[in-house]
Amino acid sequence: MERRLSLANRIIESRERLLRDLPPLPSCKVEVEGGCGVIGFISSIPVSGRHIFEPSIQMHNRGNGKGGGIAAVGFSSKELGVTQDILENDYMIQVALLDQEVRQQIEDEYITPFLNVDEGMRLPTIDDYRDIEGLKTKPPDVWRYFARVKEEVLERFIDENGLHDISPRRAEDEFIYQNSFNINRKFYASLGEKKAFVLSHGRNMMILKIVGYAEQVVRYYKLEDFKAHIWIAHQRYPTKGRVWHPGGAHPFSGLDEALVHNGDFANYYSVCEYLRQRGIFPLFLTDTEVSILLFDLWNRVYNYPLEYIIEAMAPTTELDFDSLPPKKKRIYRAIQATHIHGSPDGPWFFIIARNEPYKHKMQLIGITDTSMLRPQVFAIQDGEVQIGLICSEKQAIDATLHSLASEDKRFCPIADRYWNARGGSHTDGGAFIFTIDGKDGERGLTCTDKFGKVIEIPEGQTHCDMTIEVTIPSSNILIEDKLKECFSTNNALSLFEYIKDKISGWDYNTFRWCCGKIQELASIGDDYKGIAIEVLTLLNDRRYDTAKKKQGSILHIIRETLYKIFSSTPIISQGSDSCYRFIDWRRRHLLQTPRHGEKILIINASDFPPEGEECDARFIVEAFHLGWKRFIVYGYKGQRFCGCGLGPNTEGVRIDVYGSPGDYLASGIDGLEIRVHNSAQDQLGQIMKRGKLVVFGDVGQTFMYGAKGGEVYVLGNAAGRPLINAVGRPHVVINGTCLDYLAESFMAGDPLAGGGFVILNGIEFDSKGRIQEQPTPYPGGNLFSLASGGAIYVRDPHRKIRDEQLNGGEFVRLTPLDWNLILPYLQENERLFGISIEDDLLVVDGIKRGPEEVYRKVRAIKLSVLTGVEDFGE
Amino acid sequence: MNQEGTSKTGRNFRCEDLMRNKDGSVVKRAPSRFRNAIAKYIVRRTQGCSVCGTCIRVCPFGVHEYAGKKLARPREHLCIGPSCARCIKECPNGALSLVSNPLYETLGDCRWTNDLITSTWFEAETGEVPPNHMEYRVGDSGGGFDRLRFRFPKEESGKYRTDGEVSTSIQLNKRRDGRPEISIDIPMYGGGMSFGSISLPIMLGRAKAAKVWNTFTCTGEGGYPEELSPYDDHVITQVATGLFGVREQTIQRVRVVEFKYAQGAKPGLGGHLLGDKVTQDVASMREAVTGSSLFSPFPFHSVYSVEDHKKHVDWIKEINPRALIAVKVSTPTDIDMVAVGSYYAGAHIIHLDGSYGGTGAAPDIAKKNIAMPIEYAIPKVHKFLIEEGIREEMTLIASGGIRTAYDAAKAIALGADGVVLGTTELVALECVRCGNCESGRGCARGIATTDRELSQLVDVEWAAQRLINLYSAWHTQFVDILNRLGMKSIQELVGRTDCLIHLDYVENRIEVDRGEG
Repeated sequence: MERRLSLANRIIESRERLLRDLPPLPSCKVEVEGGCGVIGFISSIPVSGRHIFEPSIQMHNRGNGKGGGIAAVGFSSKELGVTQDILENDYMIQVALLDQEVRQQIEDEYITPFLNVDEGMRLPTIDDYRDIEGLKTKPPDVWRYFARVKEEVLERFIDENGLHDISPRRAEDEFIYQNSFNINRKFYASLGEKKAFVLSHGRNMMILKIVGYAEQVVRYYKLEDFKAHIWIAHQRYPTKGRVWHPGGAHPFSGLDEALVHNGDFANYYSVCEYLRQRGIFPLFLTDTEVSILLFDLWNRVYNYPLEYIIEAMAPTTELDFDSLPPKKKRIYRAIQATHIHGSPDGPWFFIIARNEPYKHKMQLIGITDTSMLRPQVFAIQDGEVQIGLICSEKQAIDATLHSLASEDKRFCPIADRYWNARGGSHTDGGAFIFTIDGKDGERGLTCTDKFGKVIEIPEGQTHCDMTIEVTIPSSNILIEDKLKECFSTNNALSLFEYIKDKISGWDYNTFRWCCGKIQELASIGDDYKGIAIEVLTLLNDRRYDTAKKKQGSILHIIRETLYKIFSSTPIISQGSDSCYRFIDWRRRHLLQTPRHGEKILIINASDFPPEGEECDARFIVEAFHLGWKRFIVYGYKGQRFCGCGLGPNTEGVRIDVYGSPGDYLASGIDGLEIRVHNSAQDQLGQIMKRGKLVVFGDVGQTFMYGAKGGEVYVLGNAAGRPLINAVGRPHVVINGTCLDYLAESFMAGDPLAGGGFVILNGIEFDSKGRIQEQPTPYPGGNLFSLASGGAIYVRDPHRKIRDEQLNGGEFVRLTPLDWNLILPYLQENERLFGISIEDDLLVVDGIKRGPEEVYRKVRAIKLSVLTGVEDFGE
Repeated sequence: MNQEGTSKTGRNFRCEDLMRNKDGSVVKRAPSRFRNAIAKYIVRRTQGCSVCGTCIRVCPFGVHEYAGKKLARPREHLCIGPSCARCIKECPNGALSLVSNPLYETLGDCRWTNDLITSTWFEAETGEVPPNHMEYRVGDSGGGFDRLRFRFPKEESGKYRTDGEVSTSIQLNKRRDGRPEISIDIPMYGGGMSFGSISLPIMLGRAKAAKVWNTFTCTGEGGYPEELSPYDDHVITQVATGLFGVREQTIQRVRVVEFKYAQGAKPGLGGHLLGDKVTQDVASMREAVTGSSLFSPFPFHSVYSVEDHKKHVDWIKEINPRALIAVKVSTPTDIDMVAVGSYYAGAHIIHLDGSYGGTGAAPDIAKKNIAMPIEYAIPKVHKFLIEEGIREEMTLIASGGIRTAYDAAKAIALGADGVVLGTTELVALECVRCGNCESGRGCARGIATTDRELSQLVDVEWAAQRLINLYSAWHTQFVDILNRLGMKSIQELVGRTDCLIHLDYVENRIEVDRGEG
């Protein structure tokens, strides 16, 4: 331990030389930016850069085109034109030249004297950057050097700094790091006019960045077909200055890693001071730079394991800290005591791609801050090839998978699992790490949380190869008979039950054939079309055992069939007897008042802009004003505000949403009903007044913030801060759990006298579609904090939620009055999701219990802070 | 119904016919609602008075008047004191005497001096510029606007003009983004004060006055009382962190929606309406629990970055496609960045709320101690927006301690387009700045209260007229200032720091002090 410490000190001391004559620390960030769009994915096989293209476009509205960057890790030596040995062992130094003239000087002063360059080249680019639409600033010329430090130079470096005790290779790492610092200091930071900077210098990894959007990087440097195991991209939203430099864009690098960041530190100066005391001086003056400097310090200088690095970044606090095992507590306490000044404070989310050359690993890491103030989604897909994804918005994950699947049939457009991290928690630590291990050809992808717990994916399932022609299955007659029977008797539910029961025994071909038949039947007439949509929607919404078939593949087949049925609907202007009408972006100007018999407007939202005057949400409002009341909107790719703007008294309006809808869905609705046949994103149902919202999946952050009412059903989990400041009479059923801060400052009156409440069931579905209890119905440290009204009804038969989790509430016994109040909502919940009250919710460990044994009520108590006398009110 | 009219200052503005006098002016006398207004001087009349009427005849200010066959108690608050004293000198019976009012000395503080308070009352009562014996332009704080003066050219310099029309109107949408171009006739509008922090008659009075002067008032964060609906076009719906009373309907019915991120008087503290003020009416408007304190968190739980902010703005724009978006922020040291961020997020108005404002409800420890003083923040933002090349597309509004027409004009000369008034309007409605806005059922003068009985202390028509008068008095002063600076429009004054001097940097202070305001 001591030896390690003194080594760390020696490295730190060796850097002091670099810092001579530097100006005082910047008192604030010079580069300022808002939240940004970030995406990263890691694949067991190298994939080409074009796949970062689509998700980057999806996140345009999280950037403003003033800074975009990508990083890639794990290349093929052949593609780079070097030997495998050079690729694995040489540093891949990439220098961005803003001024062509300085290349010679850099080489003469910093490359040739110290390094043996095995390969040097200018990165190929397209001829004229203006050929890329919207790219206004010429990206830098990038020179790449595959190089090693000269032996005598390294020896001198080790001698001078007393680094004999560390391996020469690690000393070489440090030399490269310091050499690049000198280049950046001389050619970037110290100059009024910035001339050049080192983009990256790690092994088998690279960073490229420009003043523009991330996908323009891919196009300009011709990376569409360039393959790598890991890609990350960043859309930046800088808000200051009229002149931007690519140096300020993300990603930033320590040595073998690249980091992108979404967020903003409040303690930038304190972190800089902490780094300065350890011989590190920021040169690019952004949050992101200091983040990676912290990571590099803890990783390479202090040699911390990843878990401790994550703890130093996002400390475990409150109830979560108390819930740690004693040994962990001791270590974490020490880490926090030592590094809290360097811990970034404020909203942030990091994605880190790194090469671990000493362990022959590559990793993609996502870390969220303790309070989970930035959006984040993780996903994984297993199979013949595996992929892990981390993103700020789910639709970027969808876009990536879609792009991959269209090129390589081994990928499926839908992942096996999607989830959020709970920041600074004892459950997952707020961080997930995707690792690919081993040598080429036998790479396997695993995902673990901060504590090393593996994310399980159902084993033995295979993807559907959609390129195979569908043939008539042996059981065709039986199935066809059943289909005909259910269609003719208008019984979608019974057909769904039939397929649900049979599907585990079917192969993909049979299921696809069955869906094809449903599609055929849908074309017969409106009644049949309605049944087809209903049964496919049920198959999409419910959970069931798919046996050896991937749930993702099944969903993909269902959604494709649905989309085909939707898109084969007569266009709005056509004459037809059908009550369904179709419209899309290209034909939006054809929108007209519903004519006699026209009832349901099907909108393909995919090409509508995600926000602004022409977004699909406004289009729906327009259609509503023309008299349309029933909408099916599909093809969502993150388009925002669905259902907003229809105004009050919109009873009778219903919108069914398919695809990946964006933020603020149903925010403000006052009467209408929206059903989201997928997971939904952040800021759902804000200020919602009346109406009904059903989400057949998870919901994101700040769900129903400031809501006044409405009836809401969520099949899965809610992320952080649901129902904060909700008032009035919201009636909400969440079948999963919430990350934290549920119903803070809840003010929804007396639930037994018309006020509001939340039912939290704390359950989930296993891979076979069976209902099981989550480890705890509520893992967060804050439940119902500062609430003055309303109630939480939580299914907690094992009494796992403790009083310490409440701050403003108390547990009371569930009375028959309470049960009568919530029962109708649980019944509707049963109708919607198939979650049975009698067979699922009231059954504990196989035994049927009474409601009062299963459910607990949390109600508000009069807190002195709420009734006291000090005040601050506008 | 709106119609073009001409005020006696010779400018055009639209106002309701009903509110207008025959001469087109909107001013009507709105005397104190209390029997005895607080006055600077006490005028005593002894038994020796013979009711000869001499005092009535000689007093130019209407202090003396008949009450039937007797003389009424002198309206002392109109008396200008020893510099006149004509009634005393000319009283044949020596029955009148004049002394300073000891109560007057207890009124006010250094920011809001007794003279500022009573001159604001004067403006609200008469609609006229206060007489010179009252210091109605600056306070006595020793800093801020109180150390700034206008550098007026001498009358004979030729710049001075009294001819022609002077415009005091400003544009609220300069983005040319297809949303309505809304202009207001005076460079100011009413700040956010919620139903809960103030009473309904006060809200209505503010809205009526806003309509008459073609400007706006703001709901604050406490819902949108239905009674305000006739004034929808002159109301700003505030969307603040507690989202109290904010519904699609309240967003859709107005022409301007304001996001309140923070208040300059208490940045980072959110809002907190005490349980006692949460009466049944307040609770039902906000759909909360009667008697329980109401928190507005800090900050918006859904906005932690500028791109979240953009999304937030986009949302409101989606709900109301004709609304302009104002963004109210306090003044941290990086306020310039916040302003630019708001521009990129698509806002039309950036509203900087400095540290001097705040009613009694803002904690003393926060007031003046956290945010940057507004006179620093305005030029910082103004210059930065110019550097960024976007100043012409943003409307910059300042608030936080704008007490007088001169404060407002100075804020504009520092770089703002206009100002927002909060406390000043309450003072015009006879607030005495006792600073107990928050406690119990609130204000003893029936302003910052929602107690049904206390609310009855204020009549809506009276409140509206007081504010109309205040605006008129300020308008007269704006026109005067612009005339003296040789400008035809208030928009010419924006950013003209060369028209200002700071007393700290002036050698011949006496000369300046003699100059005005």
